[in-house]
Amino acid sequence: MNRQQTLWLISILIIVFFMTFPFLYGRRDYDYIMHVLITGFFYAILASSWSMLSGYAGQFSFGHMAFMGLGAYGTALFSHYFYLSPVPTNLCTEFEIGDQYFIIKDAIGVTSSTLDQDCLTKALAIWDGSVQITPMPIWIGILLGSMLGGIFGLLIGMLVLRLRAAYLALFTLGFSEILRATISAEIKITRGQAGIELPYLFENGITVFGHEFSKTDKIPPYYVMFFLLLACMAVLAWLAKSRFGLFVRALREDEDAAAALGVNTVRFKIMVFVITSTMAALAGAVQAHYVGIITPNNLMILQMSLVVAMAVIGGLENFAAAAIGAIIIQFLLELLRESFVIGGVEVDMTLWRLVFFGALLMITLRFYRNGLITPIIEFFTRAHVASETVEKRMDPKTEDVEEEGITG
Amino acid sequence: MEYSAIFWWTTLWLLFWGVVGSIFTRRVYLRKDLDTSNSILVGSMVGAAFGPVGLVPLWLKTPEISRKLILIPAFVSVGIMMIAFALADPQNNCVSNGSFVASQITNGLIIGIIYGLMALGLTLIFSILGIVSFSHGEFYMIGGMLVYYSTVVWFPGLHPVIGVLIACLLTFMLGAVFERLFLTPLYDGRIDRPVEYGILITFGLAFTLQYFVQAVGGANPVKAKRFFDFPRIRLPDKADPWLIKTSRGNMELFDTISISNPRFVASVISIMVLLGLLYFLYRTWTGKALRAVSQDRDAATIAGINPHHMNMLAFAMGGMIAALSGATLVQAFSWLPQVGMIPAMRSFVIVVLGGLGSLPGAFIGGIIIGLVEAAGTGCVPDPQKASSYIPAYGMIVLTLTLLLRPTGLLGRRFASGTHGKL
Amino acid sequence: MGKIKIIIPRILITILVIFASIQAYAASCPIKIGGLAPLSAPGSVTGGEAMREAMLLAERDINAKGGVLGCDIEVVITDTEGLPEKAAAMMQKLITQDGVVAVGGGYHSSVGVASKDVANSRGIPVVFAETWNDTITGDMQKYIFRIAPLSSWASGVIWKFAAQAPGVKYVAIVTENTDYGIPAAKECVEGLGSKGISSITFGVDIGTQDFAGIVERVKAERPDYTIVLLTGEAGFNYAQQAADAGFGPQDTMFHANQAGLESKAWWENVPDGNLAFMARIGVPETMYSDSALKLAADYKANTGKDGIESYALEAYDSIGVIAQAINEAGSTDGDAIVTALENISHDGVLGRIYFPYGSKKSPSEDGKGSEWWHQWPDPAITMVQYQKEGEPSNTMTIVYPEVYKTGDPIYVD
Repeated sequence: MNRQQTLWLISILIIVFFMTFPFLYGRRDYDYIMHVLITGFFYAILASSWSMLSGYAGQFSFGHMAFMGLGAYGTALFSHYFYLSPVPTNLCTEFEIGDQYFIIKDAIGVTSSTLDQDCLTKALAIWDGSVQITPMPIWIGILLGSMLGGIFGLLIGMLVLRLRAAYLALFTLGFSEILRATISAEIKITRGQAGIELPYLFENGITVFGHEFSKTDKIPPYYVMFFLLLACMAVLAWLAKSRFGLFVRALREDEDAAAALGVNTVRFKIMVFVITSTMAALAGAVQAHYVGIITPNNLMILQMSLVVAMAVIGGLENFAAAAIGAIIIQFLLELLRESFVIGGVEVDMTLWRLVFFGALLMITLRFYRNGLITPIIEFFTRAHVASETVEKRMDPKTEDVEEEGITG
Repeated sequence: MEYSAIFWWTTLWLLFWGVVGSIFTRRVYLRKDLDTSNSILVGSMVGAAFGPVGLVPLWLKTPEISRKLILIPAFVSVGIMMIAFALADPQNNCVSNGSFVASQITNGLIIGIIYGLMALGLTLIFSILGIVSFSHGEFYMIGGMLVYYSTVVWFPGLHPVIGVLIACLLTFMLGAVFERLFLTPLYDGRIDRPVEYGILITFGLAFTLQYFVQAVGGANPVKAKRFFDFPRIRLPDKADPWLIKTSRGNMELFDTISISNPRFVASVISIMVLLGLLYFLYRTWTGKALRAVSQDRDAATIAGINPHHMNMLAFAMGGMIAALSGATLVQAFSWLPQVGMIPAMRSFVIVVLGGLGSLPGAFIGGIIIGLVEAAGTGCVPDPQKASSYIPAYGMIVLTLTLLLRPTGLLGRRFASGTHGKL
Repeated sequence: MGKIKIIIPRILITILVIFASIQAYAASCPIKIGGLAPLSAPGSVTGGEAMREAMLLAERDINAKGGVLGCDIEVVITDTEGLPEKAAAMMQKLITQDGVVAVGGGYHSSVGVASKDVANSRGIPVVFAETWNDTITGDMQKYIFRIAPLSSWASGVIWKFAAQAPGVKYVAIVTENTDYGIPAAKECVEGLGSKGISSITFGVDIGTQDFAGIVERVKAERPDYTIVLLTGEAGFNYAQQAADAGFGPQDTMFHANQAGLESKAWWENVPDGNLAFMARIGVPETMYSDSALKLAADYKANTGKDGIESYALEAYDSIGVIAQAINEAGSTDGDAIVTALENISHDGVLGRIYFPYGSKKSPSEDGKGSEWWHQWPDPAITMVQYQKEGEPSNTMTIVYPEVYKTGDPIYVD
């Protein structure tokens, strides 16, 4: 078995491990570990798609969290404002669709139970439990949220075409700040910094193989997020392996040369932008439904820095390494929360872990430019290439051929 | 506060013709085989200012793009926006209250000078090393923290100005050490993507510093005392001090403009530092060497300047300037480990607006951003939203600059830096 | 083959459920109680640290008296940062990782609003200490209790005091855009309106630092009275920058948020903050019970402060009331604790704590709104004023209401 096959085996083992993990693990902190893993998968999607965008395509964007936020807010607003009811409320804006009424709740912003209520709450109070309203299916919201991310990805991708490295980073940073400020300021619609609460991924529970899971159970969201990660990885792998991936890499190495060779750089750049931002939006939408609340603080640059750091420590130029790095780092960051005492001095790890994390980021960048995970992967993928080359060099036949080629 | 449709329609009109102008003007210039470098800017400005009336003659005549051709339509479009705003909301303080406008402008100018100084540090780093430092805000934060700790915690009673000097010294050393440890691989071509490396490594520094300060110093807001109190002045006479009236913490000019002491002191220090910096850059050998490196690295090396020393000096000085802004503002704001974020973003906006690598550009940019933010906070009609949008005002300027004129107001097309192209 | 496909997952799931159920009911010593407090910005760190100290003192005192159900208790303090999304995540962490049986503390309203659903859906009782938003109890959730005053009621004290101040015709309200600030501002606007006083509301994000533009706008409105509803360092920043611009507590009648009760931080951050008004929960120190006096003494010794803040008292009681409820319930089961809490009569440092409305008696039976559900009805609210520069908060002059008054308010014209 050569190293390439070993790599395959390891990948399959990793996948099998995560697939069976919920059934194998049984400690007291089960829910918590599952939560950490779900969040880890979420960051893995962000980090790997970001590494595709910046590492492969060389589009160094700081707006990835903004696309995540677009997805999350897209689905949050959708599920917050739209409902179906069998009876008209006569208070809200509503349309008749078949035997149901499509209800649009009015935007009143932050309130409390003693102040003004929105029209639907008023109507429900009048009905006093006699009418059942139906919230919109959340998968429509998630779909719309991801589309929103994709559309904005297209627009931003088109705008940043002319910009290079530093300017592109600043432009995307600007975009994400404008978005954050807008969400913070439009309190009437977005509830500003109070955040919007979303229904859970499976608000009414779900039955799989005859077992009922409640809405707070971790297993359904775990598999949703994990399969999402696998799907994203598959798309990214296809991108990287395809002709398109080669073009994209050519872009990064030398844009002008790639253009001269007839690569339509513009179209590929935009396509990468759209695909990765849709992924970020999708992940954001699902995560928002899992966590149950989204606020503009999730779009802050500090959150973005976490994704960047994960991708860099894993390996910026290898999306699989970035994903694995994200899961490991998310896990370590959570496990390192426990404070400890050295020589009578209590070290508050809730803060120091982030200091160490930052230092690790700097050291990785300085001394292990390919990240900490990439070399491991490359050990398996590249090694055989190297050995083949060595073999070729050693092989007297090829030597002859080469010499013949030169002399001839 | 009635929103009027007139303002939004005008905005839409300007936006539409601006976009039309920017797209088609470039194409027209391209087809006629003319220099297209500023055509997008001119097209959008003329379009916004005069609509089709301006664009058609522009496309027909395609004159050579001069500064006048950019500035006149730019002022006209700003004027149109202002008139539309005044018509839409005549009750607004920005329209009806002269002393309010004067106060806001003064405030904007004062804070703009301080912003400008901070951005100067960023642009200095960029012009020599060719990287955008994402740790600029953390230097700012540490500057303030050091003043607080040196004057309140370590040596209570120490005069704040000495605290400022301590802050400068320590941050200069921090910058120099960081540059030696982490930025040296940039110079010998060992890194294939230097711009990204620069951003990421300074980003890592920012992250580490911010949490380090929080872990060591805690998250309680702290604040240094006012550096100086105003003397009590009443002019021209005590009974009717219409010219100038001061109390310990506040100065009132012409009965209308009030200037707060900490900001005034900070801006005076900023101006002094700025003058000192100009002297250093234009009159001393080291300063000239710095500028030489920023203009042509290779030629400077031939002339006997060691660019590596200049790299270290530039990064350390840039960080020190940011720290100095923080050190002077710690008397105006409550200080936390997170305070660096917003000023850092603002510095990015300013250096892009002024032109990455341009020192005077940074200063002008600072004042413009100060004024834009003051106008935004002061004039947005809905008082619930005005302040939430503060971070966005600058970012809108940044976005427009990058779209219309990526080189900024006074930017060079290429900065030499360590890696040549931007 | 088909059958096996169905059976294998079933077996796996069954194994899992057995594992999960084994863990859930393995109650062991020490009994863990969660404590929410903002310990980093943009939360109110000064407030959070005071609450942490008080909750740890509560842990010490309860354990000194023999603990609960024969076990020691352990208060697991967690940092909410004053942010709703952190609050939800931290509540989740407390319940799933630390295995707490109940939760106390809580400073920011947004933390209460966002975290209550997490706790309620998992059946973990919460006694909120300092979250005012009416919705928190107004949703009538089974596991949610509160000993802080209602926002509508606390705001009432603020606007009534403003309305009775001399010559007040127009009030400027500067509020943070959160679940605490916006409803509180609306309540003040409505209340002032009922007295024929008009008002204007300025919203800011928590964590805002530079208020120069907003201060100028407030000043240009020429209000007679300023009400600031900002928690954390934003409250300090606004007050001092307003003073720098000549519109601070010494230039106009100025209500500062209760973060100012932390006198050391207040005087450091707002050196020109004399004459500011603040609302304070709880009776004045001269009327403290013995237990409150003892706590105040311990607290002062531990922190080096001049007095104990109202939210520290509330935090202490939130842990105390939970401990007593667990004892009376005889188990750490959430439902049993809720039943015990509904019947409780706890002699706390704030006074006798009880919850008159709940599943036994709906608030509507007494014609009260749903916000009185699981709500302690007796917290005293006073208006206090700094009247000497640098004075500690425990000697602040109580200026309103009449019952507790220790001196006349100083109004700046």
